[in-house]
Amino acid sequence: MNIVKYPFAVFSAALFTVMLITPISSISNLLWLSSVDMPVGLGSSLEVLLFDFQRLGIALYGVIILGFTIAFTVSGLIAKYTRLGSKYLYPLAGAFAIGLTMFLMVELMFQSELLGGNRTLIGKILHWLAGFVGGYFYYLLVSVERNLTFIIRFLGILYSYFILGSVLDWIFNPSNAATGFGFVLSELSNDGQNALIRDFTSFFLATFLFSLLGAITLNPTWFFSVAIIFFGAAIFNLSAIYIHGTGYNTIYIVELLLGIWPLILGLSIYYNKGKR
Amino acid sequence: MKFNLFICILLFSSFSFSTYQYETVLDELDDAWSFVFLSEDSILYTEMPGALKVASLDNKSIVEIKNIPEVQYVSQGGLSEVILDPNFIENNKIYLSYSAKNSNNKSTLFLMSAELIGNELKNNTVIFEANAPRRTAVHLGAKIAFMQDGTLLLASGDGFDHREKAQKLDNHFGKIIRINTDGSIPSDNPFISVKGALDDIYSYGHRNMQGLVVLSSGEIYEHEHGPRGGDEINLIKPSLNYGWPAITYGIDYSGAVISPFTEKKGMEQPLLYWTPSIAPSDMIFYEKDIYPELTNNFLVTALVSKDVKKITFEDGKYEQESLFADLNTRLRNIQASPGGVIYLLTDGPGGKLIKVIPKDL
Repeated sequence: MNIVKYPFAVFSAALFTVMLITPISSISNLLWLSSVDMPVGLGSSLEVLLFDFQRLGIALYGVIILGFTIAFTVSGLIAKYTRLGSKYLYPLAGAFAIGLTMFLMVELMFQSELLGGNRTLIGKILHWLAGFVGGYFYYLLVSVERNLTFIIRFLGILYSYFILGSVLDWIFNPSNAATGFGFVLSELSNDGQNALIRDFTSFFLATFLFSLLGAITLNPTWFFSVAIIFFGAAIFNLSAIYIHGTGYNTIYIVELLLGIWPLILGLSIYYNKGKR
Repeated sequence: MKFNLFICILLFSSFSFSTYQYETVLDELDDAWSFVFLSEDSILYTEMPGALKVASLDNKSIVEIKNIPEVQYVSQGGLSEVILDPNFIENNKIYLSYSAKNSNNKSTLFLMSAELIGNELKNNTVIFEANAPRRTAVHLGAKIAFMQDGTLLLASGDGFDHREKAQKLDNHFGKIIRINTDGSIPSDNPFISVKGALDDIYSYGHRNMQGLVVLSSGEIYEHEHGPRGGDEINLIKPSLNYGWPAITYGIDYSGAVISPFTEKKGMEQPLLYWTPSIAPSDMIFYEKDIYPELTNNFLVTALVSKDVKKITFEDGKYEQESLFADLNTRLRNIQASPGGVIYLLTDGPGGKLIKVIPKDL
């Protein structure tokens, strides 16, 4: 388990940090909207937070993984060859990684601040603080041995998190969701729009709930169900391309990956039932 | 045999009716941004690095104009729009918008008038400096248009990092400005008696405006870039709030929600919006009849969809059609010559001026 411990801890700490960072932009945005008399309520706030966790969060996730990998590797080496304790080094490295990431995002993006929540000093401090806490979370993960159950649950929730964005998009903003699949919703007939919205929403809602239930109950059937749905999507994608001549696309690769992931989780639970 | 010949002629006819032909009139233009016709075969055009040039479309000769203002050519900034005074033949006056550093070393938008005498600008006068300081030259807007009463409209973009200021009237972020040609403020401007509001604001709540057209009827049409989705065309009226960023059909580049709201009382809805974004870059209302199928249509160039959208509005509805997509290039600007021939300017370094050949030529 030691082989996967460190990368797993980086992925987990990055996700934890994303969960802390994302609401900074969401809340600062909601506060501003309220200040100009927009009817911000519980529903709209929840919509903003959920969307931001998913879309902004995933965009940040990759960047933070990269930053944390470098920062924690360097601080791990420093801790190994000096007397400085990793308990303090990792949080400082996390804060530094987030600060540097935010700085580079501005310098490399037309010198413009892409993250709304990072435009003020208090926003910047909150981001650094999130990195600090993320670093401490990393320290907790690498300093204690984790069992397989924890990892399966984490990866199951992470999977659900990725699917959640599509669920929200199809519920709240189907025209945007449709764009991701290569068509303009408004160009379809009313019946066509209705069919696509209900079918796509059901598809993603079911896979989201199944994977979440798998992570909670550790019953492999839930994960196998998700795998069947995505393998089916990949197979019929290929049949659409080669039998019905719909033109080549690469979405089937994503569908295969989204099928393999829960399949591995389901198999891990199934074959380790006695060991847990 | 006769039947085959008939089919061939029919196919050829339909082909020639369904496509346009093009002629590259100028090339290797250095980030050209806008142009205006001095005559049927002569244009005045800007290049973002800070050059103003006259080009002959006949012999392709290019002459650089001297005494150009110093501009800040970085990111989206530089020498932007050029337009002629309605009385240019008598007074030789032109107007230029550009980004430059202000006295506090911050980037902002400027509007200058000058007289084009020979190959030189004279009597250069800054008639407007936007109260919209930003770290770098992004989201400037910079489009200029004359209203029917002889006043000038200038689009001043939201500066990207300052989008929330588009909802406040104490600055020029995300505003359409209306001034006289000498920089003074028309006495009938809508916010002139509003405490705390800048007197030169005409409308507000805009993002990055890249198209501004005043029709002979006096109606003002504007288009602006949304973020990811939500590019808009708006019918501009004095004092109205166009909503950015409190209402929008787009999301942020980061994927974050800018606003969960798309409408609110007191904020104007666009005549149309594009999701996904097409990145509209310029707009004209074509009134000539060289291309009868385009007469009385808006023509909007686009950077991302790499085409021209032909658009008509009627009774609150619109129709649009994609034109010139076979050029497959980012289009920056569009103008009709005095005789009505359409020219397209391509985007970026190594740009081209392309003539759309009328079918009967």
